[in-house]
Amino acid sequence: MEFNNNIPIYLQVIERIKQDIVSGKLKPGEKMPSSREYSNELGINFNTVARVYKELEMEEIVFTKRGLGTFITESDKQIEELRYTMAKNRITSFIEGMKQLGYTKKDMIKFIETENNYTEGNE
Amino acid sequence: MLNLIKYEFIRKYKLIAVTIITAIALNIFLITRGVGGSATFLVLFPIVLFVLYLTDIIKMYSDDLNNKTGYMLFMTPNSGYKIISSKLLTAVLEGFALLFLYFIFTLINGAYIVVSTGAQIDYSQIIRVVDNLLSGSLGFSLSHIFISLTATLAFFLAFITTVYTAMTIRKSIFSEIKFGGLLSFIIFLCINWGISVISSRLFDIITPYYDSITNAILSAGRATPEELALILLPMTAFSIIQAIALTGISGYLLEKKINL
Amino acid sequence: MSQLKINGLTKKYYNKTALSDVTLNFEQGKIYGLLGPNGSGKTTLMKVVAGLHKQTSGNVLINDEELSYKTKAYISYMPTENYMYASFKVVDILKFFKDMYEDFRYDYAVALLNDINVNIDYKVSNLSSGQIGKLKTAIALSRDAEIYMLDEPLNGVDVLSRDTIMDIITKSYSENKIIIISTHLVSEIEKILDTVIFLKDGVVELFGDAEELRQTRGLSVEGLYKEVFKNA
Repeated sequence: MEFNNNIPIYLQVIERIKQDIVSGKLKPGEKMPSSREYSNELGINFNTVARVYKELEMEEIVFTKRGLGTFITESDKQIEELRYTMAKNRITSFIEGMKQLGYTKKDMIKFIETENNYTEGNE
Repeated sequence: MLNLIKYEFIRKYKLIAVTIITAIALNIFLITRGVGGSATFLVLFPIVLFVLYLTDIIKMYSDDLNNKTGYMLFMTPNSGYKIISSKLLTAVLEGFALLFLYFIFTLINGAYIVVSTGAQIDYSQIIRVVDNLLSGSLGFSLSHIFISLTATLAFFLAFITTVYTAMTIRKSIFSEIKFGGLLSFIIFLCINWGISVISSRLFDIITPYYDSITNAILSAGRATPEELALILLPMTAFSIIQAIALTGISGYLLEKKINL
Repeated sequence: MSQLKINGLTKKYYNKTALSDVTLNFEQGKIYGLLGPNGSGKTTLMKVVAGLHKQTSGNVLINDEELSYKTKAYISYMPTENYMYASFKVVDILKFFKDMYEDFRYDYAVALLNDINVNIDYKVSNLSSGQIGKLKTAIALSRDAEIYMLDEPLNGVDVLSRDTIMDIITKSYSENKIIIISTHLVSEIEKILDTVIFLKDGVVELFGDAEELRQTRGLSVEGLYKEVFKNA
């Protein structure tokens, strides 16, 4: 995993984990590597990974079983919510960006439809 | 301490091995030129060996103080006193080893000279010489040799601690100043000057002590082991005290003031 | 419990001041980056803590103990220079460390050197600079010490060896140890650091949590470094 050193590394790792959960790359209930394993794997600081897990636990995206390790949440509701939040964040920034370019709501929808058809057609 | 000495020898065993091999090769070469060659070797070998030895024991300490490889030693959790003492003990042990080496070469070449001059090795003669030596009828005995060696060892320790202390002072109190080698030598001269001032005062005081012994020796025409011991005692004691004091100073400076 | 406190440390040389009233507190379980250009005092600071240089004033406490030959047992220091006996084989260097330090993990070192492709039967004088770099770091980290101080571990080392060195440093992390790395190659190392210390002309210019700095300044540690040392 490549990092952008201008942004706190723990935020980048959190973002990546969330993405992997939503995309299904990380399954509900799956065991995460220990902080030590994960920091070795990513080549980053141990405390950064510990912080990632702490933050994700507070958001109830992962949970810790004492002595067993850290696991991805098993709650479909949690994951669905996560998916929604992430999608919402992206669409918000998309809309903002398009507005700055002078697009109206209608233009945007039209743009999405043609662009989406184009990429789907290519697949 | 044993560990430190062990590694001093591990670091120099190759050098010693090369010295011995070179000496053997040189000796064989000179012997092929006859008795004269062997005699030349017997004269030159101790001189060369002594110069090499002095160079080596000085380098053994100055390299560790001045080169980065010295970190190997100075990073270890050993006190400055231990480090300087182990250097001294290494120097003494190496000295004995080389003395022994010299003894062996002398024995071999001596035997060769005797044999090649056509003389038969007369074992009874050898036994008689040894016997004379033990009984003291040669005018001196093993006791004399032992006493002289002890005194020499003390003088030598005083000398080498002075050299080491000079180098330690230059790497601690004067660590900023350039021309290290020269400075060490100047400090060495200063310490010697200081010590000679002290010792001359001291020995002035005990002149009557010397007079009584020298008179006895002169009237008898020879010195007994006891008289030899007595005459060497003040200098020997002074040297031992000097060596201990300087070792203490070096150890303290290594511990408290060093800038490597 | 490992702790390193540096209080008002000053080191003056004949014609310059290498460290000026440096006060720093190191806690266990963290990796510290001691950052600054050449001549900023990084090496001097480490050498004083390692007991190879004597400070002019101020003091250093390791687990509340004043510096002495005894505290050398707690510190595993890696000098930036190649300080190993050139005529020794690597395995002899390992034996030396085993004989001198009670905490040296000989078998661990052998396994580690095997992992990172340093042949322990080679003589030190026959190793490349990349191999020397890996060897020095591996030896320093093979001690089970409380404080590790690595002086410029990436200096003069090729890119692949750098990765290996970074790897073994990350793997040596422990909750009850302190790791201090000095470097001027900030971008390579910043992602393994907890806390960064900027040293400029012997003065502590900045001391802070790396992630905190990224968050509040919106800059990488390297970006910040360039800002601070622009005119240095």
